[in-house]
Amino acid sequence: MFQVIGGRSVQAARVLAPRSAVLVEAVRGRKSRTDPVAKSKVGRIKMPPPVDPVEMVVLKERYGEYQMIMRALRLEFKEEMLRKRYEEDTGSLAEERARQEAQEHRVLMDLNHLENQRMLKLRIVRVQMEKEEADRKKFKVILQREQEQQEIVKEKEKEILKLQEDAKNFITLENLDQRIEEALDNPKNYNFAIDKQGKVVKQTMLQ
Amino acid sequence: MPMKGRFPIRRTLEYLQKGDIVFKNRVKIMTVNYNTHGELSEGARKFVFFNLPQIQYKNQWVQVMMFKNMTPSPFLKFYLDDGEQVLVDVEGRDHKHISDHVRKILGKTEEVLQAEAQAKMQESNPANFGPRKYCLRECICEVDGQVPCPGTTALPKEMTGKYRTKMAAAQE
Repeated sequence: MFQVIGGRSVQAARVLAPRSAVLVEAVRGRKSRTDPVAKSKVGRIKMPPPVDPVEMVVLKERYGEYQMIMRALRLEFKEEMLRKRYEEDTGSLAEERARQEAQEHRVLMDLNHLENQRMLKLRIVRVQMEKEEADRKKFKVILQREQEQQEIVKEKEKEILKLQEDAKNFITLENLDQRIEEALDNPKNYNFAIDKQGKVVKQTMLQ
Repeated sequence: MPMKGRFPIRRTLEYLQKGDIVFKNRVKIMTVNYNTHGELSEGARKFVFFNLPQIQYKNQWVQVMMFKNMTPSPFLKFYLDDGEQVLVDVEGRDHKHISDHVRKILGKTEEVLQAEAQAKMQESNPANFGPRKYCLRECICEVDGQVPCPGTTALPKEMTGKYRTKMAAAQE
């Protein structure tokens, strides 16, 4: 805050100032450069506190020693930390640990591999069974379809036979006259009567 | 609406902290391939549904990816630091079984976890006073039952240094 000044204002002030002191002046503060000095501070000259040389020497020595010791301690602790870190990262123990871990890892990976193999075997068996099941089903479906086909063929044959049988009774051009004669000779009565109880009476009067 | 989703317990802190799979430092990526339908993927689906939030909570720096309906059989794949890939087949397995197996092959063991917890506790000694970042308290005035901070409440006259010096000077 206070700065050493030189120049014309210095001479006047120096007369009043103590001999060994250094002149100081305020540099920054609340007021700007255009503000006048306060009335109570017009002739004021600020001086730093006086220094006893003997005391200064003694203090300097003691402080120097103290700071040296403190710095040494700090550096020592820092070095201890660094050494610990180094030991952990790249020490003999660390190598052992790394090797141990790698071995354990290998063991666990082998275990995992065995498990996978076991699952693989189970899966192969299961897939095989599923395939067989699918084959069997397909086979059954094919059989069924063939059976159905055969049944249809049989039905058709039966119908053909029936038709052949019926064909004997068909009316052809040769039979025509004969059949007409027969029909006229044997009149057939299709009428029937039924009462409320459901009794069917086929014998009725032919007209 | 307090609850979201089918099993909102999966979102509670208590549930997440109960997860016991902490991966080794080498595991970087975890991939789960499973199917959305089918009896064989049931275990994998349950694993993803129940155990994955716990795993991700405990291993926040491991990338976990899910692939659905890409392969006929479900599996887990772990990608380690040195490029090694670990395949775990989970077809037809129970989710509990899967998580036990994963913990066995790639998780930190109980003793390692405990050692780590111990080391962490040792680093942060609650008896230390210092910046908030490293210690619990900064000054003894923060502790209950101790003299309150003279910055907020004035000390009784008898405890102040100037009074004491005055008394000492008066006595002499």
